[in-house]
Amino acid sequence: MSQNAKFTTTLFIALAIAWLLSGDRFLDAVFEMVDLGSLDDIVITSVVILEEGKATLGLPDVFAAIRGAIHSGLGL
Amino acid sequence: MVFPTLQFIGFFAVVLALNGFVWSRPLWRKAMLIAASYTFYAAWDWRFCLLMAGVSAVAWQGGLIKTRASRIISITMLMGTLGVFKYFNFFMLSFAQLLDGLGLGRDLQWASIILPVGISFYIFQAVSYVMDAHRDHITARRNPTDVFLYISFFPQLVAGPIVRAAHFLPQIDAPTSPDANARALAVVLILMGLFKKMVIANYLSVLLVDPVFALPDGQNTLTAVAATLGYAIQIYCDFSGYSDIAIGIALLLGYRFQRNFNQPYRADSLRDFWQRWHISLSSWIRDYLYIPLGGNSGSASRRNFTILLTMTLAGLWHGAGWNFLIWGFLHGFGLAVERAARFTLPRALKTTLVFAFVCLLWIPFRAADFAETQAFFAAFITLDGYAPVDLTTTTLALIAIGLSLSWLPLRWLGNAETMLARVPATAQATVLATGIWILFATAQEGVAPFIYFQF
Repeated sequence: MSQNAKFTTTLFIALAIAWLLSGDRFLDAVFEMVDLGSLDDIVITSVVILEEGKATLGLPDVFAAIRGAIHSGLGL
Repeated sequence: MVFPTLQFIGFFAVVLALNGFVWSRPLWRKAMLIAASYTFYAAWDWRFCLLMAGVSAVAWQGGLIKTRASRIISITMLMGTLGVFKYFNFFMLSFAQLLDGLGLGRDLQWASIILPVGISFYIFQAVSYVMDAHRDHITARRNPTDVFLYISFFPQLVAGPIVRAAHFLPQIDAPTSPDANARALAVVLILMGLFKKMVIANYLSVLLVDPVFALPDGQNTLTAVAATLGYAIQIYCDFSGYSDIAIGIALLLGYRFQRNFNQPYRADSLRDFWQRWHISLSSWIRDYLYIPLGGNSGSASRRNFTILLTMTLAGLWHGAGWNFLIWGFLHGFGLAVERAARFTLPRALKTTLVFAFVCLLWIPFRAADFAETQAFFAAFITLDGYAPVDLTTTTLALIAIGLSLSWLPLRWLGNAETMLARVPATAQATVLATGIWILFATAQEGVAPFIYFQF
């Protein structure tokens, strides 16, 4: 595997882990995207399955905690 | 779709993966990047894609047919399109006011048109493509995909840098696979750009600049000075942050853009400032406007007239309004005075004077109209405004950090890049992903558009 392929794969995995540990929902972003016609159903169904899987895991929203700490610490 | 959003990060991760899959197949690579760029642009409004395709087609044909008539027709079509979209609403509003004045008032709201995001940037690229082809600076491409990709390439599509065909077209044929150094530079640029935009620019806007400009006559000397500094830092961090991210993501895809900002507030003359601020636009204006208008040739008064005209037009490029006209004219006036006077002052004093001049001219640039500009300047000599904005420690810290970015030794960034180049690709990607999420956690909720999208 080339270094660039490793970079891209790790980026995907790291972003996926970060998403799992965050309260951010890709579903909202998908609904904002341009209409992809027949592809839309596939994309939305896949994202719904992912979001449901994430909810089942019941992981904590680490990034909301970080956001809260940063914001309260800085008085934002 | 703007850079600092989940939507864009997901989009870019997919494009990066696809780019790796089709890397060794040039036709597929170009087709994938064009499709990605049009998808990116369609996220605003799919109709804008038709306009961009039309602009690309005009540039493609205008470059191929090398006659004077073809050049004039294609440049007129391109600049005419820009003029209609940028100034139509202004003229309709003025016309409606004229009718009102004559007692013939009509509701002309139906005649307003939407300004397509980034139109100035890609039309300027199209114009430079046609001009460079006719000046034999580049070989015009027979293959339309090359021109369509050059015009639409999504990292620089909506707010620059304005990439020159001579620099970009050879890279379309043979992009450079990012090595450890390029990936490290890309990670540093993307994180730095996100920090400038999501932390410095957005918070300064919400905590200081917007409230002060919303009520300028309620401010005092201190808040007016703070907001002036705040906006100078906000616009620098907003725009250079976008450029940093654009350069970084292009680098990860295998394309190199030239630097668009070079610590502009360190400039010790206005000429120096314009060689450091929005470098790709300054050089575009120099090559396609200033030099054709006469440039440095002719008498001193002729040269001064040329610089005044060029900078006034550059001001009007930002929009139809007295504020932009004044901003451009005064920059031109300053450049002309500077050239005539040839000041011999200590460098620190010159830098301070140039910074103060640039900051003061950002006030009309930011203000909604001339009355707001006047009210803001009046606040400078008001000791007890009735509703001054609170200057919190966080606000002052953001100003200090924003200012320090302009004086930060560049070798510090170079050191960070060198350190990151030594670690494995997996660690580089982890740093990027972690940094992105921490910056997202630090940022405010919601999406703040980049200032330069409106131009």
